[in-house]
Amino acid sequence: MRYGRLCCKALWLPLREFRPSNRFSRPDADATLAVAALRRGAVEPETVTSAVQADLYDTYQGQLLAALADADSAHANGFALRQAEEAGRAAGYFEILADAYAAQRSDQALAEMRAEFARLVESSISADDAAFSAARTAIDTALGSFRAAPLTDEELARRAGQLMRYIALVPVEYARGVRDGVVTSPIEIQEAITFHEGASAAFADLRPTLSAFDAATADRAAVLLTEARTQIDATADPSAVQTSINDLTAALTTLIPSEWLTVGSASDIDVIVSILDGVVTSAAAGDYAAAESARLEAYAMLELGIEQRLRGFAPDMAVQIEALFWQGTESQPGLSVLLTTDAPITQVRSTVSALTSAFADASLILGSAGSTPAAVVTNAAIIVFREGLEAVLILASLVASLRTAEQRRFRRPLITGAILAFAATAVTWWVASGLLTILLPLGEKLEAIVSLIAIGVLLLITNWFFHKSYWTGWMANFHSRKQRLVGGVIAVSIGQTVGLILLGFTSIYREGFETVLFLQSLVLEAGTGIVLQGVALGLLGTSIVGVITFALQVRLPYKKMLIVTGVFIGVVLLTMVGNTVHVMQSVGWLPITPIQGLYLPFWLGQWFGVFATWQGIILQFTAGAFVIGSYFLAERQTKSRRQPRAAKTTVNAA
Amino acid sequence: MKRILFVLILFCVLIAPAAAQSTVDLTTVRTYLIENVTELRSQASALEATAADYYMLAEAAGFDYAALWETHRDVTAGALNASRDAWMIASPLYEQVEGIVAGVPSLSEYDVILDAGVSGEEDPENGVPFDLTLRDGRILERPGNLFGVLESTLWGTRPEYSSGVEADLNGDGEIGFGDVLPDAYVLRAAAETMHNYTDDLVESAAAWEPNVTDAFTALVVMTPTMSEYFAAWRDSRFVSGEASTQAEFVVISRLADVEDILGGLLVVYDGLSPLVSEVDAAQDTQIREGLLNLQAYVADLLEEETSGRTFTPEEADLYGSEAQSRAQAITGQIAQVAALAGVELPE
Repeated sequence: MRYGRLCCKALWLPLREFRPSNRFSRPDADATLAVAALRRGAVEPETVTSAVQADLYDTYQGQLLAALADADSAHANGFALRQAEEAGRAAGYFEILADAYAAQRSDQALAEMRAEFARLVESSISADDAAFSAARTAIDTALGSFRAAPLTDEELARRAGQLMRYIALVPVEYARGVRDGVVTSPIEIQEAITFHEGASAAFADLRPTLSAFDAATADRAAVLLTEARTQIDATADPSAVQTSINDLTAALTTLIPSEWLTVGSASDIDVIVSILDGVVTSAAAGDYAAAESARLEAYAMLELGIEQRLRGFAPDMAVQIEALFWQGTESQPGLSVLLTTDAPITQVRSTVSALTSAFADASLILGSAGSTPAAVVTNAAIIVFREGLEAVLILASLVASLRTAEQRRFRRPLITGAILAFAATAVTWWVASGLLTILLPLGEKLEAIVSLIAIGVLLLITNWFFHKSYWTGWMANFHSRKQRLVGGVIAVSIGQTVGLILLGFTSIYREGFETVLFLQSLVLEAGTGIVLQGVALGLLGTSIVGVITFALQVRLPYKKMLIVTGVFIGVVLLTMVGNTVHVMQSVGWLPITPIQGLYLPFWLGQWFGVFATWQGIILQFTAGAFVIGSYFLAERQTKSRRQPRAAKTTVNAA
Repeated sequence: MKRILFVLILFCVLIAPAAAQSTVDLTTVRTYLIENVTELRSQASALEATAADYYMLAEAAGFDYAALWETHRDVTAGALNASRDAWMIASPLYEQVEGIVAGVPSLSEYDVILDAGVSGEEDPENGVPFDLTLRDGRILERPGNLFGVLESTLWGTRPEYSSGVEADLNGDGEIGFGDVLPDAYVLRAAAETMHNYTDDLVESAAAWEPNVTDAFTALVVMTPTMSEYFAAWRDSRFVSGEASTQAEFVVISRLADVEDILGGLLVVYDGLSPLVSEVDAAQDTQIREGLLNLQAYVADLLEEETSGRTFTPEEADLYGSEAQSRAQAITGQIAQVAALAGVELPE
């Protein structure tokens, strides 16, 4: 390939060796596809060379591991000839990887490994069981964290992510398992050690690259990593471990390029599930060390990501998932146990399948924890109907007050203004949707911001609703404006027309603007289609009231209707507060403190935004208290206004 | 002019994929499968009938197997030998299509049921999905694949499926391997279940529409399984002799099974060959030769065994390692061609 002889390269590919495959795992075709792409001129020769090199290293490492496993099997069965053959084969494959080994470790380490392989072969020929076992142990230990294929940038970034996640978890797990210098939970300590080992393996892979950036800092990071392990082994105070890890994190943060640590766009659950697929693939290929590394990575992602949310919103599922990752449940062995014991692939596959299924359920719960579509339709319909009702009443009141034949002429510009307001509301919707589309990359944060605005709007509506002065004052304001415009004039001037159009417009657009603002939060939660269904229902209700009021001239029990819809809006407000708290917890703007022992049915969350976390319940309660308090305050203000008036009347009478 | 150009482009767009597909004709694979499983069903039916004969003889004797053998020696031996003959014909028939059945996702469940599945006790998650309900009310919960249950019942390698009454069934004047009367309840239930499932398999095979992905999958799943079969051969009576503790693979050498499986895979590869040849003619030749050589390699070993050579377990291990190595080389090449042809293989 270096000399551009692609025809020869393509001819060579059918002759090459492949990574061992079995019923469950397939050989990669990365090198073949890369060469094909080069023939088409789609990639650069350097890219293809590194792809071919990585594929071949991976192949020979797979063959090396298979030869060692076959040597073990032959040793166990007492097949001396086979044992010697496989030991020799393993030593040969290691020689192919020797350069990579020396580059990643050192010449000294390579010399030691060569000595171990020589001991392996000699002990097989001389049937020295003890020497064979010793050589095998030494080789396994050395190969445990060795990966011959050079890491691509993507893999380096992945290892860096693993390293940072693992080291963050070490003090967390350790602190859970130690109190006053005594181990209170050995499982937690084991988890801390497992994460430390995972971090050490990731660091070993990264070290050559990191040393090239800054050898001194890389060395210091290695010392700190070892120090943390020493502290764990000595049951040191958790704060000491935390300090070492903090120093280590600071050192690594200066070493690792920031782009390696950028989180991908895929959600946590998608990434975890894809890593779990890697567990199965590695176990199927017999590489249980790689499978364990992938398990650890998936678990770290869970622990640092969605686990706290799961504990808040689906505590049972959090416990089940945790068990499946480690010790297992009554009916399903845990992944950690299976991989430690090199369990059959069928069992590994079964537990991974149980985990994947649990994550699918978790995804459903976390993803839909906002509201059901029916709840969103209902909430949207209530808001639109309520605001529509207000608009109809204002318009009806203004129109009805223009009773005389002369005044009837003023109705037309008033209604024109109302129609224009309707169109303006539609435009506002369009603008708001466009704005949201631009801001969509903010993801759940945008939902949290818009939800907070919507809550503000709702609080305003409910507050105004209880203050009678709002309604009467608002209406009086419209009427006085109308009176100024109409006056006693018979001819309609242009200025009057514009003024009346503006009056009709502002009286309706204010309701429309509020509605659009509020509905955007629902759009982010459930999508435009579902919200529009609610809007249609609300508009239908408003239209019916409108037809009855304007066409049939029938007076409806408007006050009762306003009260009933007002109460509904109070419920919508509480739901919105619950869901907003949930979103804010999801984006990390609010902590999650599960209410221990409280298991709420799932539908309560979906319909009313009620979840078993202290933050959610307290804020919903506060919002409820605000609304009710607002009602009593309004009542008190009304009474205090009446009392002076009554006193004044009494004095006058006297 | 523009209209003519448009029609030409449209024609190319519509015809091009069809032309690519036309190079692959997998109807021969389907025909081969249907012919084999139909014959398999006939043998399963014959086995069911002879098992029923034996059951009725045992029933007439009040399930007193010693009395049965004492009073109806010839007719009992006749029924059981006929059952064994049917099994001996049915087993290779299945092995010849196992590569296809096990490798095609829509059919693979039948492989678990008929030939590959272990008991529910051994593997609660992936063991066979059926129970055997016996006429005396006993239920054998998820006992393992049906060929295995029938083999161990007919040749008495599982004491729990045997009456325990010795009987010189082959008439050689001695009580040797397999000379024991089976439990009639187990034999009949297993034979009936086998017939029912082969019925279903014929139906499913007829409904199967072969496609390139299925064919590639069958090859990459089944070709690198040589080590599994050779390990079973190494541990069987054919190699380990009386030291073997295996209840299955006692009457047909696993080598014969491997040869049959590879024969089936060659039929599948024949169907794919034109497509592979289009991608890379040299690789097509190499894959075909690889499969043929591997089959010949196994056939040579089988011939030696049939001629009287008894391989040692270590030799069996050595030959198995070589077979697996060759199979992996072939699988690697098939996987490369599949990738180049744009066929995604399920893990």
